Amino acid sequence: MIVESKDWKPKIVAFLCNWCSYAGADLAGTSRIQYPPTVRVIRVPCSGRINPFFILASLQHGVDGVLISGCHPGECHYLTGNYSARRKFVLLKSLLEHTGLEEGRIQFSWVSASEGVKFAKVIAEVTEKVKALGPAKKLVKSKT
Amino acid sequence: MKAKIIKKTDIASFLDKLIEDYEAFAPVEMDGLISFEKVSSSSEALLDYPNSKMPPKQLLFPQSETLFSYSSTKDTGELEVPSGPEKPRLIFSIRPCDAMSFTLLDKVFGGDFKDPYYLNRRANTVLVSIGCTTPRASCFCNSVGGGPFSTEGSDLLLIDIGDEYVVQIVSDKGAKLLDKKGFEDTGKEKLDLAAGVIKTAEASMGPGVKTEGLKEKLDSIFDDPVWQQLTEKCLGCGICTYLCPTCHCFDIVDETIGSGGERVRLWDSCQFPLFTLQASGANPRPTGKERFRQRMMHKFSYLLDSCDQIGCVGCGRCITECPVNLDIRQVLNSIAQLESVK
Amino acid sequence: MPELTNKIREVARDLLQQKKVDLVIGFARGTTPMCSTPCFVRQDGEVNGLIWDSFCENNLAKYLVKRSDKIAIIAKGCDARAVVELIKENQISRDQVVIIGVPCQGMVDRGMVRSALEGNEIQEVEEKDDRLIIKGKNFEKVLNRNEFLHPSCKVCTHRNPVIYDILVGDTVKELDTEPYLDVAEFEALTPEEREEYFSKEFAKCIRCYACRNACPLCYCQECFVDCSKPQWIGKTTEASDTAIFHIMRAFHLAGRCVECGACERACPMGVDIRKLNRKLTKDVKERFDYEAGLNLEEVAPLSTFKPDDAEEFILHP
Repeated sequence: MIVESKDWKPKIVAFLCNWCSYAGADLAGTSRIQYPPTVRVIRVPCSGRINPFFILASLQHGVDGVLISGCHPGECHYLTGNYSARRKFVLLKSLLEHTGLEEGRIQFSWVSASEGVKFAKVIAEVTEKVKALGPAKKLVKSKT
Repeated sequence: MKAKIIKKTDIASFLDKLIEDYEAFAPVEMDGLISFEKVSSSSEALLDYPNSKMPPKQLLFPQSETLFSYSSTKDTGELEVPSGPEKPRLIFSIRPCDAMSFTLLDKVFGGDFKDPYYLNRRANTVLVSIGCTTPRASCFCNSVGGGPFSTEGSDLLLIDIGDEYVVQIVSDKGAKLLDKKGFEDTGKEKLDLAAGVIKTAEASMGPGVKTEGLKEKLDSIFDDPVWQQLTEKCLGCGICTYLCPTCHCFDIVDETIGSGGERVRLWDSCQFPLFTLQASGANPRPTGKERFRQRMMHKFSYLLDSCDQIGCVGCGRCITECPVNLDIRQVLNSIAQLESVK
Repeated sequence: MPELTNKIREVARDLLQQKKVDLVIGFARGTTPMCSTPCFVRQDGEVNGLIWDSFCENNLAKYLVKRSDKIAIIAKGCDARAVVELIKENQISRDQVVIIGVPCQGMVDRGMVRSALEGNEIQEVEEKDDRLIIKGKNFEKVLNRNEFLHPSCKVCTHRNPVIYDILVGDTVKELDTEPYLDVAEFEALTPEEREEYFSKEFAKCIRCYACRNACPLCYCQECFVDCSKPQWIGKTTEASDTAIFHIMRAFHLAGRCVECGACERACPMGVDIRKLNRKLTKDVKERFDYEAGLNLEEVAPLSTFKPDDAEEFILHP
């Protein structure tokens, strides 16, 4: 049981596309830009590769927030992967929030390979939002 | 028969008294859904109700049940078996068909391989059933070895004779419930009244199914094309098996969280393709036809071989709840009319 | 509705006699009152088993998938929409199926009728125009059918089949309701209220998968709940597993759900499954201007995209 306290740090999983956002995160690192150490990165080929179950499984197994980040529209390495992902995610986000999931628990961004600074800002903002929400309680698997 | 009389006005205080000593379960209505729930007062319990949506089998054989939990660190491992209920349990106002279903489950879980989870709970449970004065159109208990006032599986049976219940004592366990409560013995007059009620109820029931020679017939038509025809409309869902008081097939899964977890037993259904899917990818029951046939064969043939009892108590839940009205009575009767194939 | 029954029999007889189809899928009288049941007719001599009444609630399109024979199907508005989707998703070819469209006035919810009778058991129900004449032991009651329609029928926007080869009966007037009013009402609740509502609904679920199996568009070879490599969700009735089952099943139907309500009618526990589907239907309509199953040409919303799709949900720090 996670106790909500002043120094509670959220656990955030970030699914980053290989070609833009992951490279952006890499750039943030090599440029020594500081950002909150709350995020665990999982590299995927494309934002279009992300199965909605990745998000739900993450929540079920105890992460406090999920970030999905891909190439800017029009810049997908596979041309249209992020366009398809965008349609899919807007519906998923809407549906999950319809069932009562807090807004901000799952978030989406576009970060290119040259946007190391933006990546840091995205992580800071996501962390801030999730921190404000507190530990995740919805859709979390309970021990029977 | 040995019986006592309880006035309807006294039944609530009788149940309330029992609730003091027992963990009591009774049919309860919530949002239009009748289900067996734990009750803390007689006012919650229903005595006059059609039947519960889910059979009370889950009180003895829960849909999912932790067999043991485990945790491990680098050097040690620990195993914990959950302890059973401490207080004895009472199931009150159960219908005779559902009570009868436990006689089959007793044989299944108490056969060559004794299942301590079920058996401990069963030994610790006492059943007070309530006879059905007005059986429903979907009921056919009388044609599968039971009846609206069958005592099979019950410890006490309540028979409604108007302002009073004749309480038939079926077992010592049941007799104990009535101990020192000051209820009178039943005289001949009231016993006759009860017999009349039973007769009227039985007479009101439809023809149901013909089970004579059914097993032989089923055994002879395993490869008959009729199965295709009979199951054409079946959707392959699990309603008929999950809502059946006698269906008892289960699966065992590990629910792992980190370095620990639980081994869980949960209901499974022969109607699901996954039920027989093998690791190789082969499935001996690949289509609905084989799966539906299995359900019929298991209930009306295989269980006779293994338990000397059929797997149906005629509660009619599979009839009223089937989304496509695949009526088991119709299926069995059309099988009965088939020519036997040598 | 005896005229419709007669016409359906006539059409079925002609199709079978002229060998235009191998099979007619329609409805027959069920074994309990207020219950019609799917019926498969292969011989012209059997067509008199076919009927039409207020209880033909199943979506027969369910039976079209994975077949090679030539089939005629009796299709209400929602069934026809499901057929359209199945054709679009290459589950059946257009020339394999003869659609016998039947304009629908909404189907009657027998559960609702039963609860109006306070436990009195119904023995027989007769229909005359809009009246349901209900008979039981020592009682008779007349109800107006239109007050007892299934929830999905009450908000139906396509009672007339959108596609058909033969139309039986006259077209009916479409309902004059404001679309998605029900969804908007629910959206107005707070997230906590919505969560509480869904937790209560999902808690009723017994994971029998009747919703999935009754759905004409749930035809996956392997459903995600059956996957073991990887196993996406647990199989117990643990709250999050059950919630995710329902959420993901609904999500898988985004832009495909034809709102027939078969899922909800099949559910033995009365789980309000459509609350999820309706939300997605509304979102898809508002965002992508698409309604499932209306024509054979439009591309499914999740199979396509527009470069300028709205993306207000993307974070821009």
